[in-house]
Amino acid sequence: MATTTAAVTLTSDLLSDNMSVSASTTCMKAGTTADGLDQMEYGYVEIASGTAYDIIGNTPTASKASKLYIKNHSTDETYYISVVLDAQAIGKLYGGDWMFIPADFHDANADVEITATGGTNKICYALFHEGTTLVAS
Amino acid sequence: MATTATISISSDIAPGFSGISESMTLTQAGTLIDIDSTTGFAIRKLAATGAVDLVTMANELVEPKDSVAAKIYIRNIGYRGTIDKSVGVTIGVNAEPIGKLYGGDWMVMPLTCIDADDITVNPDTADTVVIEYVLFYEEA
Repeated sequence: MATTTAAVTLTSDLLSDNMSVSASTTCMKAGTTADGLDQMEYGYVEIASGTAYDIIGNTPTASKASKLYIKNHSTDETYYISVVLDAQAIGKLYGGDWMFIPADFHDANADVEITATGGTNKICYALFHEGTTLVAS
Repeated sequence: MATTATISISSDIAPGFSGISESMTLTQAGTLIDIDSTTGFAIRKLAATGAVDLVTMANELVEPKDSVAAKIYIRNIGYRGTIDKSVGVTIGVNAEPIGKLYGGDWMVMPLTCIDADDITVNPDTADTVVIEYVLFYEEA
């Protein structure tokens, strides 16, 4: 079984007592307890300001357990990308920000679209999944 | 004051993939100033199918500023120590399904915090499951 593990540590001193949360999960195929995600896509792109772009070119199998990681590696904190899923704005990743979400790609419109603002944004992404519809040559 | 989030991903799917290890300091939009507001850590117990709000933006005690640098952490922690990785809870924004958190799965996602963009949770089954979450945002 392929094994993909994702861990997060979150710390904050905004509260009177410091908060620290750690979590780790093994990324399994949808509905299974013994079979891990076994395919992945990993890339790095530079996106000019104003350009809207589908971060994942191929559509993974819908309603599965895909996990998507995106980081904005821009070093200018004023640069950001807007993340949109199926025409629904999700939020913005400024320079240095990352996100990690389950992404079920529930229909053909559910691509993850990003739009760059401020300048050329440098984006790293990784998709862990269990199958995709490849584009015929 | 600082809030940081560090992610580590390891995988043996692709030969040569050396993993991902990244950290971010949560800051206010377009600045290096630390983000300064949070809902605090909370849990929500679910025991029925059907989408309900985890966060209702218009009902927050302190109004979050819209379309800036808010982030949310959400995790499916199962129930009373039992984590079932075969069933999940679909997380949505303004009724748009984002994806499903199976038992133990977690996510960190930016948010618009616009009033319409509530965060919804919808369990696969009526079995009791607990969702933990914390929202970091800027005050309006």
